[in-house]
Amino acid sequence: MFPTPIQKASGPTRLAYQIALPIALVIWLFPLIGVAVTSLRPASDLAAGNYFGVPSSIAFENYASVFRDSPIGWYILNSFKVTIPTVIGAVGLSCLTGFALAVYGFRANLWVFFAFVAGNFIPFQILMVPVRDLTLKAGLYDSTLGLVLFHVAFQTGFCTLFMRNFIKGMPFALIESARVEGVSEWQIFRHIVLPLMRPAIAALSVLVFTFVWNDYFWATVLVQGQHAMPVTAGLYALNGQWVAAWHLVSAGSIVAALPPVLMFFLMQRHFIAGLTLGATKG
Amino acid sequence: MQHDPQPAGFWKRNQMKIAPYVFFAPGALMFSIYVLIPIVQSIWISFQDWDGLGPKTWIGLANYVELLDDDTFYVALKNNLLWLGLYLLAIPMGLAAALFLNQNVWGIRLYKSMFFFPFVISQVVVGLMFTWFYAPDFGLFSQMIKWLTGSEVAILADERYVTYGIIVAGLWPQTAYCMILYLTGLNNLNSEQIEAARMDNARGWRLLRHVILPQLAPATFIAMVVTVIGALRSFDLVSIMTAGGPYGSSQVLSYFMYEQALSEYGYRMGYGAAIAVVLFLIMMVFITLFIVRMIAQERNR
Amino acid sequence: MAEVSLSNVKKDFGAISIIKGIDLEIKDGEFCVFVGPSGCGKSTLLRMIAGLEDISQGALRIGGRDMTKIGPSDRGVAMVFQSYALYPHMTVGENIGFGLRMTGHEKAEIAKRTAAAAKMLQLEPLLERKPGQLSGGQRQRVAIGRAIVRNPEVFLFDEPLSNLDASLRVQMRGEISRLHQDLGATMIYVTHDQVEAMTMADKIVVLSAGRIEQVGSPLELYHRPKNLFVAGFIGSPKMNFIPVDARPHNGGIEVTLPGGATLQLAGTLAAAGKMTLGLRPEHASATGAGDAVLPAKVQLAEHLGSETLFFVSLADGTEIAVKADGLAAERPGDTMQIGFPARACHLFDADGNAVLNGDLTR
Repeated sequence: MFPTPIQKASGPTRLAYQIALPIALVIWLFPLIGVAVTSLRPASDLAAGNYFGVPSSIAFENYASVFRDSPIGWYILNSFKVTIPTVIGAVGLSCLTGFALAVYGFRANLWVFFAFVAGNFIPFQILMVPVRDLTLKAGLYDSTLGLVLFHVAFQTGFCTLFMRNFIKGMPFALIESARVEGVSEWQIFRHIVLPLMRPAIAALSVLVFTFVWNDYFWATVLVQGQHAMPVTAGLYALNGQWVAAWHLVSAGSIVAALPPVLMFFLMQRHFIAGLTLGATKG
Repeated sequence: MQHDPQPAGFWKRNQMKIAPYVFFAPGALMFSIYVLIPIVQSIWISFQDWDGLGPKTWIGLANYVELLDDDTFYVALKNNLLWLGLYLLAIPMGLAAALFLNQNVWGIRLYKSMFFFPFVISQVVVGLMFTWFYAPDFGLFSQMIKWLTGSEVAILADERYVTYGIIVAGLWPQTAYCMILYLTGLNNLNSEQIEAARMDNARGWRLLRHVILPQLAPATFIAMVVTVIGALRSFDLVSIMTAGGPYGSSQVLSYFMYEQALSEYGYRMGYGAAIAVVLFLIMMVFITLFIVRMIAQERNR
Repeated sequence: MAEVSLSNVKKDFGAISIIKGIDLEIKDGEFCVFVGPSGCGKSTLLRMIAGLEDISQGALRIGGRDMTKIGPSDRGVAMVFQSYALYPHMTVGENIGFGLRMTGHEKAEIAKRTAAAAKMLQLEPLLERKPGQLSGGQRQRVAIGRAIVRNPEVFLFDEPLSNLDASLRVQMRGEISRLHQDLGATMIYVTHDQVEAMTMADKIVVLSAGRIEQVGSPLELYHRPKNLFVAGFIGSPKMNFIPVDARPHNGGIEVTLPGGATLQLAGTLAAAGKMTLGLRPEHASATGAGDAVLPAKVQLAEHLGSETLFFVSLADGTEIAVKADGLAAERPGDTMQIGFPARACHLFDADGNAVLNGDLTR
């Protein structure tokens, strides 16, 4: 283990470490803590200039007011309407493409690989004009479906690479053994590979959920009206309305950040496994 | 004979040839429609004058010529370089955080998760948090500056500091990302190698430099990839925190493109596409480097 | 009837030729072992018979039917993999019945055949377990069970015992041999371990660099190796090779051993020349009994209890191994008299082909 375990260090060092940990955390999360506190500060405190002191009362009222006086609840619903179908679509499609790339030797395998990796890293702006145009022409502009289709397609690139690497890590003899037994290619996918992909599916689902939930660019490019707007773009719009109403902006921010945060805490292991796949083995 | 009871049909005889394409087609189709073809279309549109609705007019390189005369373009380019350079700080910072947290004490798992927190939050929320953090009068950061120097600085309204202010906001989640990559890397170190090095009297910095870092190379590579790409893609924070202002001083190519293409003074899709192509070409340099290395690794496996 | 016949079978990967023209007939019910060093193409050849690798050239027939272009599932073969390839998410019972279930067999039929296979392999108490909960030997048996349920006419084994420890390997060797006797099916078995080949095979195929070196029964290969490669590969410890000068002499052959001693061998020789004399360690005499006796210096003595293995050097420095009695007491540095019995000696020409095989019955 590196660095040397703190347990082997002297008493004072150990104590110093134990004290340093929470202090470092508070400094690290300072902006977040500030926003969280502000979100619970009554409006009167801000008006009175009490920005940093102890709130005069805990104002859950801010949260109630955010939901009551703004369409944020609606925005969140939209975000779910975009995110959940995207997760299902992208993960589902990439199971298929990943299987194809991992199990069969394509003649153009290298180019396909190149296209998926490159497609994964390109700037969104190079896609913006044609994708917006395509969505308009398909009559999907300003709809959650328009967003879903794009996100599914784009995330499929990343997910395919992930799935391909995951399947490549399985013993190939499993597939060959099934082939000798007369199992068809689809059955091999359905009954052997798919059940073994569960950890990869979980990891990707959490990741894609977070990526898509947090997307802001496409939400502004493909959606204009309130009825389809996801919470990221919605929050930005609300920020314009709530000028200087920082208690409301803060409460709204916390609300918008909550679903991916919950997702992260519930599925932490999968999340990190997904993010770091390939980071440790060359 | 225990051969398959059904007669071998066309599918059965040819499935090894057909199956790959059947599995591959749906995803590849979606990816082509929404990613691969639009890249080509964008390049095509960059040679046109187009408002997004009416007919396109071929104007050759005129968009690019105009771009070379556009002061904002140079500001954006310069800021992109600044992003690129400073964003890389996320890698050593992430490594430092990972080394700090790679202990086995009570509650460390929770600490790690909390340190990772900024990455999970939407950049919109990060942007709003830092806007509040920097806000003059009541922002925590401004207050600290005031307390330290006696004068107030409105970071996001000051042409000198605004880009740095946004980059710091970006470094927050990016450092968390690099940290988690390194934490995983540290978790998978070859402990025998470290023990051997300790017996050879390597410790502290030299152990890190000569034994640990080489073992962390894959994590460093991924961290490089995501950080470089992240720096060049920066859009959300600029859009949320300053919309490129004040006076275009915090422009970056990605936001510049968006602003031109969907500008309130009329859509300039062709010009926007040209900016996107430039950004795309810059990124392709890096992407190609990364892929060459990835393929080399794949071959060596 | 399921004889397997290969005629001029070749395999290329791009420009590299892996299998360079194999002609082979395996009779129905025969236990045939492919043996050779790693990289000799034995596994590729097996996989070509299974249908997992395409056959670049030549023809494969199983039970008289041309299978060259038929998919693996329609060849009537079953394969046991080196890694066992058990599906980790299925129980032992599901693993065994999976192939049948996927090819549309009725539930009752699957249950019946699974039970029969489990009984045969003593897997009954384990049917509900997952592969992860089994020992290596048990996994091996499940893999075999998965092959048995399909009643294949040809069983293919790809180094099935190489992941087991030594004692389990001996036991499984016996079980597979018994299975072969019970089922009477054709079995093709790949291994790099010549002991496995010797103990199990009806017919051994020795492969090297994509070619067949020799085909024959275990004892045939042991007693009459066609060339240096087979002579060196079959038998443990391996045969000693001693550089000699050979010439025709009195209707026989006279070889000059290191140090100048001569040995008369029966047989004929066209011309004199430098050749290689082969003598197995178990046929050399540590007590100096033989038709030629050479002094040798002991380099190393391995005391195995039942026997002692001496590694000694001859006058020209050639090192040879000699099997001796378990109580032999010579120590490194001592000089021994090594006896060469003429009837046990093999002679190979400069190209490595056998000019003369010993004949112990003489």
